[in-house]
Amino acid sequence: MKYLKPRSIGEAVDLLASSQGMVLAGGTDACVYMAEGICSPEALIDISDLDALKGIETVVVEAGEETVRIGACTTLAEIAASELLPNCLRQGAHAVGSPQIRNLGTIGGNVCNASPCGDTLAPLLTLDARLVLRSTDGTRIVASSDFFTGPKQTVMESHEILEAIEFPAAFRGKASAFRMIGNRKGQAISQVNAAVCVTVDSGTIADVRVAVGSVAPIPLRLAKLEEFLPGRAIADVDPNEIREPVIEGIRPIDDVRSTATYRQEVTVSLVFDALRACAVQVAGEGAGP
Amino acid sequence: MRIQFRCNGADVQVEVEPDTRVIDLLREHLGLTGTKEGCGRGECGACTILLDGVPVNACLLLAGKIADREIVTIEGVAGADGSLHPIQEAFLDVGAVQCGFCTPGMILSAKALLDENRTPGVEEVEEALSGNLCRCTGYGKIVDGVLEASRRLTEEPDRGGE
Repeated sequence: MKYLKPRSIGEAVDLLASSQGMVLAGGTDACVYMAEGICSPEALIDISDLDALKGIETVVVEAGEETVRIGACTTLAEIAASELLPNCLRQGAHAVGSPQIRNLGTIGGNVCNASPCGDTLAPLLTLDARLVLRSTDGTRIVASSDFFTGPKQTVMESHEILEAIEFPAAFRGKASAFRMIGNRKGQAISQVNAAVCVTVDSGTIADVRVAVGSVAPIPLRLAKLEEFLPGRAIADVDPNEIREPVIEGIRPIDDVRSTATYRQEVTVSLVFDALRACAVQVAGEGAGP
Repeated sequence: MRIQFRCNGADVQVEVEPDTRVIDLLREHLGLTGTKEGCGRGECGACTILLDGVPVNACLLLAGKIADREIVTIEGVAGADGSLHPIQEAFLDVGAVQCGFCTPGMILSAKALLDENRTPGVEEVEEALSGNLCRCTGYGKIVDGVLEASRRLTEEPDRGGE
């Protein structure tokens, strides 16, 4: 095996195209896969030191739309600490692994690993995030809602590298929250997770995005709930009334971490809790500085 | 491949395989066996070391990733004259060590916290240690140890480096 450290993203995509290599970001998943023999690449292409793939910035893209751009190799610790990012994404990044894992692991790695329980995935869906994929053919942009196709499966092709994650800067002005439940508070894998991002006008929900993870083969937006909630007072949302629209959207299973029945009921509670956290944020803003 | 890095204040050059993990580099190549391997998959934190000052799992770190960077292991925590670091002293004094297997990792996670924040609250200590498992279930004393170390470092700010 070779260990390759390209000096630019251009060199990285060239190396990927010309080798049977595996792209290495933080390595926190890759090391486990290699140790367990799940993969044994001929080369590792370590992109984690590329400055162009690190950091969070606001840029203006086409049509004057302000966009937040997160380099794919920005660590989960940096995401969790960044005041430039919405609460749901910061909280989702903080929910991954442990401090040690968050210091190594990257948001791009969490996305490309595409585990149904990845804690940054539901937040990214609620932010209408787009994924910037780079290859020797150029760049293409895929909506996060089209990216995941199954457990550990995405639309990415073997010669592509995730370069950045973008979302409209307008989402920073919305209230948002992430909730997960695991076996313990720290260092636990989500049995269910949920993210909510909401626009509230005079106490009434104007527009809302809700996404959940670990309750289907891919992270999902809850379309029925997103249709149901607008027009309701955010402070008065009742867990019983959101139960049907939440359950209708999910397909939980029994597995090593939890049961379908438990996941179903907990999804309702987590979505409710995240909505309530958003209500608290909105009330705090209304109260003034 | 050949890499060089700083380890516990000294320059190190070593020949490694591309898939060598830092835990193996430390224990097998450098003889630094204070860093323990528990689960080998980033769940227990026994192999915690500091990479440029922040805690990471040495079992999830390939040697190529520490090239030209600086690491600190448990062997680099005590003074050059062998005097214990205030965190080590506090762990001994409050009885924060039972079997001792998780202790090096606990001390390095605690050091990363106290280097950043000399006066953490209980919740901040618990958060900082959340990636370190103790199977003797001695968490209460370990948290006490970190808080005691915080008090000693505050009273004697010239001790403990950084």
